[in-house]
Amino acid sequence: MSPTDRKKECIAMLLAGGRGSRLGPLTEEIAKPAVTFGGKYRIIDFPLTNCVRSGIDTVGVMTQYQPLLLHDYIGKGQDWDLDLLYGGVSILPPHHTPGSTAWYSGTANAVYQNIDFIDRFDPEYLLVLAADHVYKMDYKEMLEHHKKVEADCTIAVLEVPIEDASRFGILNTDPNDRVVEFEEKPEKPKNNLASMGIYIFNWSVLCKYLKEDAKADSEHDFGQNILPNMLADGKRMFAYRFDGYWKDVGTEESLWQANMDLLDDMHLGFEGWPLLSKSAGRPPHYVAPTGSVKNTLITEGCEIYGSVENSVLSAGVIVEEGAKVIDSVIMENIRIGKDGTVQYAILDENTVVGEGASVGEPREKGGKVTVVSRCSVIEREEGKA
Amino acid sequence: MSKYTALCLSDPHPDHVNDGSSERTLSAARFAGRYRLVDFMLSNMVNSGITDIGIILNSHYQSLIAHIGMGKEWDLARKAGGITFFPPYMTDARDSEYSAIDGPLQRAARALRGTKSEYVILVNGSAVYNMDYRPAIEAHKENGADVTAVYAKKEVNKDAGEQTVVFDITEDNRVRSIKTASRLSGTANVSLGAYIMPKHIFLQLVTGVKYCGMLRFSCERLAPAVSRLKVMGYEFTGYSAQISSVETDFRHNMEMLDSEKRAALFDYEGRRIFTSRRDSLPAKYGKAARVENSLVADGCQIEGTVINSVICRNVRIGPGAVVENCVLKDSTVIQQNAKLDWMITDRGVIVSAGRNLIGAPTYPVFIESERII
Repeated sequence: MSPTDRKKECIAMLLAGGRGSRLGPLTEEIAKPAVTFGGKYRIIDFPLTNCVRSGIDTVGVMTQYQPLLLHDYIGKGQDWDLDLLYGGVSILPPHHTPGSTAWYSGTANAVYQNIDFIDRFDPEYLLVLAADHVYKMDYKEMLEHHKKVEADCTIAVLEVPIEDASRFGILNTDPNDRVVEFEEKPEKPKNNLASMGIYIFNWSVLCKYLKEDAKADSEHDFGQNILPNMLADGKRMFAYRFDGYWKDVGTEESLWQANMDLLDDMHLGFEGWPLLSKSAGRPPHYVAPTGSVKNTLITEGCEIYGSVENSVLSAGVIVEEGAKVIDSVIMENIRIGKDGTVQYAILDENTVVGEGASVGEPREKGGKVTVVSRCSVIEREEGKA
Repeated sequence: MSKYTALCLSDPHPDHVNDGSSERTLSAARFAGRYRLVDFMLSNMVNSGITDIGIILNSHYQSLIAHIGMGKEWDLARKAGGITFFPPYMTDARDSEYSAIDGPLQRAARALRGTKSEYVILVNGSAVYNMDYRPAIEAHKENGADVTAVYAKKEVNKDAGEQTVVFDITEDNRVRSIKTASRLSGTANVSLGAYIMPKHIFLQLVTGVKYCGMLRFSCERLAPAVSRLKVMGYEFTGYSAQISSVETDFRHNMEMLDSEKRAALFDYEGRRIFTSRRDSLPAKYGKAARVENSLVADGCQIEGTVINSVICRNVRIGPGAVVENCVLKDSTVIQQNAKLDWMITDRGVIVSAGRNLIGAPTYPVFIESERII
């Protein structure tokens, strides 16, 4: 595909409107795809980078819940080389039309409301992506597979342990990986192929189903409505197996764990496929003579006078003398005051941990990860040393 | 086109120095882990509201152009104004000593002549400081000066004086003489290589010049004119550095370990220094890493020990390796158990396992780019 082609073979639509309420305070003011990850990234960097690396240069980002920061972050798409003459990244919030003032009422409805946008590029195929997973994937290979098996719809799947299968959308398949049944979070899973929230459709086929679904009494959801309807009509639906790193960062615990996974393999398979993001543009980080840093990721603008271990630090974090940061994810512009302690916690942007204050419990105690919302100020508790 | 135009000159490397950046013009030399020297000048301009910037190129400028590009990182990629490069042509006359050429500066002057620009700010593309030029421009107008020359009061020493220009300044702040600091020592008014002047004075001063370096402009053009023109001094009191040799490259990089100096340079009065941004991963410290008093850029992987050092982007330091008092530029690899003390590497150097390389505080040893040791 040439960037100046007006007709695109395949374009991507990102579902970025969800709140991600299981992330608690982290998504009170921002949408889940805008949540900070791995020191320099936001979750949306993963699908955007994957698109760019897969040669998909037209991406619609459907936003709805708390979109300000997300819009600001995406900008004109320059950080992903998606500021193009034709295509590139387009932000697609819900909008009024004659006779309708609707919000996006479901994943399928969001795409339905943007049929005109998609048709401008006259695509053969539509890639529909959830924007809340951490993974590296070449969608081009998936598209080739989709064409090879002459599918109407291809769903990327991951083999999960059967005991976890009831947490996912599960695909029951025949020996050729053709999907015979789709079950959303089944109580008694018959299979262990979990949907990764990555779909490729023949656009002409999907468009028809979206229009029918819009008229029906429906949840307007891909998993609950569109896919079952297509299966009922005998459409060719196939599973596409993926065996790389993939993590749903939908909960506080899984977000913490995915950050820690970076410490074991910081590339997540991203060698030669650098993850693209908007960087803060600050000086390199400084570690003072009193500082100590072990098994940690640190990025620009940080100043470390205390000790940091098993942690991931975003830009502009100050750890003052005597302060300790252990097993934690520290987001942008956070100050950990003198002799402060942060253990097994996620601290959201612009938070201040006061002198001698303490956040979180040691991980060995076996409790849950402590999450502190953005712009918090944590003072030392009276009576504590 | 606004009222002010900046023209950025770059001095070539002094011939006698086997400098870290001999493959590239001085203003493209790396500094403080992730910057190029020209970042300071470009950031100063945009932070002062000056967005018409001409870059005079003379030689070895490929990496400078690659770094600046359209000027996007400084908000200088714009329809009106922004960055204009003035490269030399093959047909331009050459000066063998400086490999400098008269063409680029003359073409810039010609381009300027037809514009509505009223003032020219001539700056040195390799000077390191963070300054808002607007108060200096105001002072220039109030003084009714022909030229305003920015300087800092600094110690100069006998050895490193040949690239340094100093001003003799009267009590009423007038510049009485301009000369190089060779054989000088003690405190002097050191030029930052920044001159503010109305366009017609600039055109007068550069007509017929056969070079485009800042040093020669100061000494051969401005110096003889101080009796004829009203040249006023403007003192800059913040942090400033001029890199012109291995020794100064090493020393000023090391100064960035001083938090006060770093603050005075990178976030002075809220003014940021912008540079091109890459997609490096965050720096990763291993379980046995030890790091003290060091500046470390993104993309580095540190398994060994780093003390009193400046580590640029994408450097790898293997397990058991010890790096002390070093400046390691981009993509240097120090393999396991190697030891380095008082060394400065250019980009892409590989020091193989177990090597022991030791310079001295008075003589940091330089390793040129892509060397495998």
